[in-house]
Amino acid sequence: MSFSFPWLLWLVPLALLPLVFQRAHSKSYSWLDMLPADPLSDLIGMILKVLAVLTLLFIVLGLSAPHTNQQEVERIGVGAQIGLVLDRSASMDDPFSGSAQNVGETKSAAAARLITQFVQSRQNDLMGMITFSNSAMYVLPLTENKEAMIAAVRATAGNALFQTNIGSGLTTGAGLFDNIPDSGSRAMILLSDGGGRISADTQQKIRDWFDKLHISLYWIVLREPDGISIFDKNYAPNPDKALPPEIELYEFFKTMKTPFNAYEAENPKSLQLAIDDINRKEKKPIKYLEKIPGKDFSNICFLIAASMIGLLLGVKYLEVKTWH
Amino acid sequence: MIENIKEFSYHIGWRNRGRHPGRHASTQRGMGMEFIGHTTLVAYPDPRRIDLRQTLRDPMEQVFVRLFNQKSATPVFVICDLSGSMNFGAKERKIRKAADIAESIAQSANRNGDPFGFIGFDDFVREDWISMASFKSQRAIELAERLKEYHPGPVSSVGISEVWRFLPRERSLVFLISDFHMPMQQLEESLANLLRHHIVPVVLWDADEYRNLPENGITVVTDPETSARRTLFLRKDFRNRIIESFEARREAIYKLFMQFDMPPFYVEGDFDAERLTEYFHQFVAA
Repeated sequence: MSFSFPWLLWLVPLALLPLVFQRAHSKSYSWLDMLPADPLSDLIGMILKVLAVLTLLFIVLGLSAPHTNQQEVERIGVGAQIGLVLDRSASMDDPFSGSAQNVGETKSAAAARLITQFVQSRQNDLMGMITFSNSAMYVLPLTENKEAMIAAVRATAGNALFQTNIGSGLTTGAGLFDNIPDSGSRAMILLSDGGGRISADTQQKIRDWFDKLHISLYWIVLREPDGISIFDKNYAPNPDKALPPEIELYEFFKTMKTPFNAYEAENPKSLQLAIDDINRKEKKPIKYLEKIPGKDFSNICFLIAASMIGLLLGVKYLEVKTWH
Repeated sequence: MIENIKEFSYHIGWRNRGRHPGRHASTQRGMGMEFIGHTTLVAYPDPRRIDLRQTLRDPMEQVFVRLFNQKSATPVFVICDLSGSMNFGAKERKIRKAADIAESIAQSANRNGDPFGFIGFDDFVREDWISMASFKSQRAIELAERLKEYHPGPVSSVGISEVWRFLPRERSLVFLISDFHMPMQQLEESLANLLRHHIVPVVLWDADEYRNLPENGITVVTDPETSARRTLFLRKDFRNRIIESFEARREAIYKLFMQFDMPPFYVEGDFDAERLTEYFHQFVAA
């Protein structure tokens, strides 16, 4: 048992005020000795005082917010530590078939829907989330709380910017795993449409970090049907131009020391297949700490105080009004 | 002011010794109508009262005069309780009622040509609430007017045991106005000290103290003298016990007063001066 605001407990002596001060509106009677002893009246008088004291006591206790401490229980389950890095660039709000037509599900909606399913299907995962467009946005640290995760996925919908800063997303995503005990199964799912260029410095940083933190990478590229495929063996790069960003990114990812898988999704169905594949691969026993939150007693205190105030009000209702 | 004061008539059943002419039987020789005997002119040199018949009849040939008792004035006092409990009263505070009664007594004393004095007491005899016996009642009435607006503090009525020191040596008619909410022992001792005088206890009770209590409910009451508090849960059973307690008290103080031969005069509700006249007819031999 501990208190969120223990200093408020200094107010506890205030609860004794009803014993010190008498009720203000007391009737004057000529001579109390003339009134015969009445145990019931004395009892009621005592109960009223005790009620007043307890009311104040519980209000003060409630204000100081008593709660039991959070407990951590080590559990073993099947799952992984998964960091989701989602592209929030404006192109994600287009349908798979391209920006021109207004048909079908948008890429972000499909991604959100499928990831939600994915999150729900996993048992004991620790999941975190980063979104990025022109820079990374830290959304959710690694957590077991699925509701938080699903809410975070839902929150990715909305207005977005037009840039795709994958490097920032990946480094911030790697940061999710920092200072978290390694469960032996760590994966990062990068979901983006198209690629982005990453500077050589950042590339080196990403490579080092992923190696150091043992993060395997799953890259799901949401491709428009007529876009460049990263798996296209026949693609002949134009020697006069730089490689397209997707290809360049793919080449970079292939140089990473940690396991890497790439998927291409052209429609919700293929996206589903990619996610199912990841689901299959990332199933290893992991040790995790389940946090059992402390119980908050302040509401109970307020409830008790309120019911006592109610009782006192009831007594007030019974009070004599027709005398003097 | 004075026109509204109700008067009553009173008389006393003993002979006082006051020299001041008045209306009450007295042991004082003087210009009265009450023949008490003869004495020689040498012993009582009042030639107006020479009794020729007795003088002629006396073989020793002395001159006799007739002796008469004059009627004298008797001091009338009001001793008024100024303790906290006198502040009680639903429609009219007891102390206000006491002031009304004191005014009535002052006015009646004035009508009878008797000197009137007022003594108030609470924890001790209050010098500022004393008006010594005087044939001019204005000062006492002014005091009573002031009393009407007086709100006693949390003081007891212990001073009643010292009141006798402030009364004159000669037997006086004393109206003791109080609710007599004081310990029996204390009351008994005080009355014993007042036996020299003719005491009329005027008992001021208020129906709201016991009979007109609210039917049901919870209330907190404060004792005006000790500031003690009690929570009361009024209900039929408890109200009956309170009434019983008051009836027992009435019985007890009645017995005590009758031990001292001072029949109490109860005032509950409005003060009726006629009833005080009746009281004197009933209890005081003319």
